[in-house]
Amino acid sequence: MTRDRPRLTIGIVGLGTHGVNHAQILRSLGHDVVGVDADPSVRSEFETQFETTTYERPTELFETDIDAVIISTPNKFHETVATKAFDADLDVLLEKPLAHTVESAERIVEAAERTDRICMVGFHHRFRNPCMVLKDYIDEGYLGEISHIQAKFIRRRGVPGRGTWYTSNEIAGGGALMDVGGHLLDLLLHFYDWPSLSDVIARSRSEFGPREDYAYLHMWGEDGEARMYDVEDSVNAFLEFENGATADIEVAWAANAESTHTYNVRGTKAGAALDITNTLTEVEPWVDQRNDLELYEVRSGGADHFVNSSVVCSHNDPYRDELQTFLDAVVSGDRPEQNNVHQALDVQRVVADIYRASSE
Amino acid sequence: MYHEDGDAPGKTIKSVETAIHLLQAIHDREEAGISELAEEFDLSKSTIHHYLKTLELYDCLENVDGRYRLGLRFLTFGGQARARETIYRLAKRDVDQLARQTGEEVRLIVERGGYGITLYQATGEHVDSSRTHVGSIEELHCTAAGKAFLAALPESRVDELLADLELTAHTPETITDRDELEAELAEIRSRHVAFDDEERYEGVRCVAAAITTRSGELLGAISVSGSTERLTGDRFQTTIPDQIRNIVGVVEINTTYSGWEDDTFDRVP
Repeated sequence: MTRDRPRLTIGIVGLGTHGVNHAQILRSLGHDVVGVDADPSVRSEFETQFETTTYERPTELFETDIDAVIISTPNKFHETVATKAFDADLDVLLEKPLAHTVESAERIVEAAERTDRICMVGFHHRFRNPCMVLKDYIDEGYLGEISHIQAKFIRRRGVPGRGTWYTSNEIAGGGALMDVGGHLLDLLLHFYDWPSLSDVIARSRSEFGPREDYAYLHMWGEDGEARMYDVEDSVNAFLEFENGATADIEVAWAANAESTHTYNVRGTKAGAALDITNTLTEVEPWVDQRNDLELYEVRSGGADHFVNSSVVCSHNDPYRDELQTFLDAVVSGDRPEQNNVHQALDVQRVVADIYRASSE
Repeated sequence: MYHEDGDAPGKTIKSVETAIHLLQAIHDREEAGISELAEEFDLSKSTIHHYLKTLELYDCLENVDGRYRLGLRFLTFGGQARARETIYRLAKRDVDQLARQTGEEVRLIVERGGYGITLYQATGEHVDSSRTHVGSIEELHCTAAGKAFLAALPESRVDELLADLELTAHTPETITDRDELEAELAEIRSRHVAFDDEERYEGVRCVAAAITTRSGELLGAISVSGSTERLTGDRFQTTIPDQIRNIVGVVEINTTYSGWEDDTFDRVP
């Protein structure tokens, strides 16, 4: 355990891929975990893997002596679990997105405020070193005024749990845009310092997920053979903000294109290209997690010239750093500025605006 | 169907049984007079008259010009029996939604004693009149929901049901061969959706999928039915099956988490 940090007991509600990932990190940080899941077989797997107690219902967990809660249930059930956790005076780390609809997200924010609890939302990419470095360059004015960001989060074949809740509009609230698009919009709005959206043109498509011949090269969770699939697997959108800045975004769970997760930031003084692509491709010999940030400038010293500079920073585990930030906040009671519910609600609203625009 | 004869284990009360059989006979005929019932039950007219008057007194029957029909008291009983079914509460809204989406007749059906009982039905814009009503009973082998049930039930229970099942032909398309039925059940298990292609009524097609819990327990089925003129080609084979599978998936997930929604607790400070 990290010195000077107390050993905590964290309740994890929703023991799927994300819940187990959080539990592993918490254990490696020297903390205790207890779990909740509605599925008995998932509970017994968790009990065996972590040699701990699990419960069937969140309220049973909240009656025990725990220090905080991590919620990684299907999106539709974030609200019922989070609001009960707040009412039990517990701080919450909620997996992204905040909820499945704007209305549900608003109720979570209202409950967090009413009970004065800490609620962080798991947009973990923000904790990646090159993302934090770029944000710092932007904040110190190195890039000047930013007028445009081109952002892409494309998986070549990466529909999560086809035919499970991930691909149900009713339960997840959307498809690729709600899932990977949430990360992309969170980083985009974070770089822009949370401007208001003024206009959107968008189109969404569902071309790959429902296909019987879908080639399964990567997945989070199980493949339900498209038993349930009524969401989009790609979205293109052009966003305009009230300050005049714009963004061109593309998100896809599946596309006939190279996997990419990039942000090209155009400033008046300098530009930046952030590449945090994770190829996730199991047919390639290794999974490629990029960690690259390039800066582009034009200078005139001596002679007019271009300067392309590479930022070299270490790979870090963003899930671990996100969790540590949350745990530090739980101990100190100081609300962290990062990943707060208000930002997550902004992301939820932009997601909804893009869906609305794409159905026009 | 429901238990019919007096071979129940233990002591039963004859007059209660007679009353129930009378109600069933009136249900099957939709309405009946004293003479025809006396003849069918081989009882005197005055005995039948006393039965019917008693049932009328307690609002179980209505007398319209000497013809007896079931009374609305059964709706009171039925309403409560239905409200007690968890799946009704969990799936009703989704059945309504599917009726809007498809424009067809959508039903929520549960299996009881080897028959399917309609728990709820909603009709979309294409439907003028309906063959079924809440509480309608149908056989398993000739309906999409029934075959979906047979495909979802544990093998031992299916064997039990199939042993008793008479594969009555209702149309030239009805499956009347056991091996053929078994083969079709295997197919339903792999594609998670069942079809009835004019197997119960000529001119009517139906698509259905079973609702099960995570541990495999059968809760019911959702079916969409419509005329052979409207349920054709891709719409019958792909679009409506996809819509049903989406809705059934949602109902199953909502069922899994239903215990969480209305749970309250007291935390020890």
